[in-house]
Amino acid sequence: MDASEREQYRAAIHGDREAFEMIIRTHSRTLFAIAYGILQNREEAEDVVQDSLVKAWKMRWRVRDPEKFPAWLSMIARHRAHDVFRKRRSLPSTHETIETIEANTPEASAMDQQLHSALATLPALHRAALSLRYFEEMDYRSIENTLGLTNGALRGILGRAVASLRKQLRPALASTD
Amino acid sequence: MATVHDEIDNWLAADLYGELSAEEQRQLHTHLVDCAACRKTHQETKTMNKLLEETLAQQKPDPAFEQRMLTGFRNRIPEKSGLIKSLADLMRSRSAQVTAVVAVLLGLVQLGRTFTTKTATTPRTRDRYANEQLFEPPAQFAAMSEPNRAGALNKADELAAARPQAVPLQAPPPSSSTEMKAKTESSAELERTMVTGSNIPVAEEAAPKPGETPAPEVANRKLIRNATVELEIVSFDDAVQKITAFANEDHGYVATTNSQKQANGKLRGQVIVKILPENLDRFLQKIRGLGELKNQTLGTEDVTKAYFDTDARLKNARVMEQRLIEMLKTKTGKVSDLLQVEKELGRVREDIEKMQGELKYWDSQLQFATVTISLAEKEMEEPAAFLIKERSQLALYAPDVEKIYNDIKALASSRSRGMQITNAQLNRDYSGRVSATMTILIAPEESDAVITRVKSFGRVENFQTQTERIAQGGSGMSQNAKIKRDKVELNITISREEQEQAFQQTSLRIRTSSVDEKAKDLRAVAEKQGGRVRSSSFSRDPDGRELANVWLRVPMKHYPALMQSLDSSGKVENVTVQRQDRTGTQIDEANAPADISIQVYSQGNIVSNQSGPLATLRRTLAQSAGAIMWSLRMIGVAIAFLAPWIITIVAIVWIAKRIRRARR
Repeated sequence: MDASEREQYRAAIHGDREAFEMIIRTHSRTLFAIAYGILQNREEAEDVVQDSLVKAWKMRWRVRDPEKFPAWLSMIARHRAHDVFRKRRSLPSTHETIETIEANTPEASAMDQQLHSALATLPALHRAALSLRYFEEMDYRSIENTLGLTNGALRGILGRAVASLRKQLRPALASTD
Repeated sequence: MATVHDEIDNWLAADLYGELSAEEQRQLHTHLVDCAACRKTHQETKTMNKLLEETLAQQKPDPAFEQRMLTGFRNRIPEKSGLIKSLADLMRSRSAQVTAVVAVLLGLVQLGRTFTTKTATTPRTRDRYANEQLFEPPAQFAAMSEPNRAGALNKADELAAARPQAVPLQAPPPSSSTEMKAKTESSAELERTMVTGSNIPVAEEAAPKPGETPAPEVANRKLIRNATVELEIVSFDDAVQKITAFANEDHGYVATTNSQKQANGKLRGQVIVKILPENLDRFLQKIRGLGELKNQTLGTEDVTKAYFDTDARLKNARVMEQRLIEMLKTKTGKVSDLLQVEKELGRVREDIEKMQGELKYWDSQLQFATVTISLAEKEMEEPAAFLIKERSQLALYAPDVEKIYNDIKALASSRSRGMQITNAQLNRDYSGRVSATMTILIAPEESDAVITRVKSFGRVENFQTQTERIAQGGSGMSQNAKIKRDKVELNITISREEQEQAFQQTSLRIRTSSVDEKAKDLRAVAEKQGGRVRSSSFSRDPDGRELANVWLRVPMKHYPALMQSLDSSGKVENVTVQRQDRTGTQIDEANAPADISIQVYSQGNIVSNQSGPLATLRRTLAQSAGAIMWSLRMIGVAIAFLAPWIITIVAIVWIAKRIRRARR
């Protein structure tokens, strides 16, 4: 993290609105990737990002160390997404309708469906890592930082995620070949 | 170390995401060349990656995403105004928080210190206030009295000017002539008030007390002075005349006189004199010469504040009245409003009258000092006459109470002028005892004759006379007081002879072989000698001893004869004689009762019924019978304990036998 970035985080923590808006610009996509990874739903993910930003602004004074600001931001988003996810599970009917709607869209191919259901079986953390990788093309280190993982843990996580997806999609993959 | 093959998924994923170093890439490729399975996996992974990229690319947020987030954020968190925001932000930083806490603490400490120093200095402040209160009004009044001294007579204006709350009275009233009159009246009154007010300092200066310099602050104060004097004089009328003369000398007058004549001819009374305040001290000095001064008080009541307060309120009320009248004249508004104004006007006028009355009263009080002189002639307490009261108590014993009771009544009715029964009571209780109490008033000249007569009715047990000298209309001694004898009060108590205590008591024992016979003899002897048996008893104890007690009462004159006959009738033992000599009372000794208590007894059996072989045998038999009864009882107890068990066991055995027989 360079000095200008740290300065920006510090200013945001101390209530500099412009600095915080700058952070929104630079980080909201990452947050979206995390939320989407967990929820697998764009609308919900957007709402989560929005809520997380508002919450972060209100609670910003809790962060003592400006360097930890991005990690803290993603943590808020992750918690928020988990909350939404849990709420959704307690209301299974809504989830059902969302799924059916998605399934009925014309462009959603059978392959897409399979991929989505395979993704749904993965742990939320794995999904979040995957979406960060594919949406933002972040390297392992940034993903680890964002998700608050220890050094080198991501390698195993992504390995397992890829393997799990591969095994589930093997019949479909074979057919495409 | 784990081989590439074991962690092929991790390696492939890292390869996909470009996370392998050059060395690692070489290792992976080497392995892929060797291992067909991993090659296949590699292929699949690559396909899947492509698929994922394609699919997830659709899900990527659109380019306007950031802008949307920003707008949403701005909508939900509107920007605060500068000061509040900066303050809120400031409070979020730790250093600012610490500073704020320190500032608050310091503030509290400072506050506490201010409070404590305030309480410490409170007494001083109070003193200052007290001084101010003491000195402020004089200053004010001094300022007010300034025009007085200058001789200016337009005091009303001055006064109004001195009081900001008082609206000037002299404002030309636009009302009718009656109102004008009222105004002039009031101002005239005010002037008069001020004149009386200015009298006070003159009085103070005219009669300064020795050793006291009149304080300049006293000027123009409203002081009501009164004095009370208590004097003892030789002649009341003389003193009143002199007081009147003194009052006239000092331009005063006697307001009230009252006097009372006591039973001993002495006079006591009160004179109230009104005198100009400046002459009060001189007047008091003169009065002291009249007689012996018992008590004197000199009081001053300061009504300055109340007086001027009332004065100011009166002025306010007048202005109010004026306004109300104007309001009525313009006659705009509803009837109910006008009525309200009328009502208010009435109330204000009532207030004005009350205050005027108050001021007038004070003026009268201020104009003259009141001296209350209590006069009493010397030797006030000398008694006018003495009354000698005689009271006698007489206790009589008689054989027939009722007869004497009636005799005394008859005596009273025969001498109706000199003797009167005030109270007579005849009591007879359930045991037949009779007593009577009487109270008789006897004219003093006949008392001796009557008392002697009553005494002769029975035997006198007790006679007491008590004389009391009562002073009338005073106390102490008096040379020339009259002496009068009052009626003699005689209280008579009549009781039967039986209840009379014996003059002489004798007790003796006589031993004889036949007790019963002897007792009968004794009765006969007693009756022959004019005595009576009062009570007797007879008893025999288990040893065969007999005992008889006989109490006799005989007149003293027959006592020696009785004793002689007793001596002759048997062996007389243990004689004790007790005699009660009643000194101081004349007693008819010959007829006085003498009690004799005689115990006649016989010798008992030599061998007691309680000992001897027969008695022993009887006791033994009784004891063995008792033992048998006791063991019988114990057996009963044992049976009661054991019987249930025995019955139960027998029953069980019987049932068992029956069962065995039935099986066979």
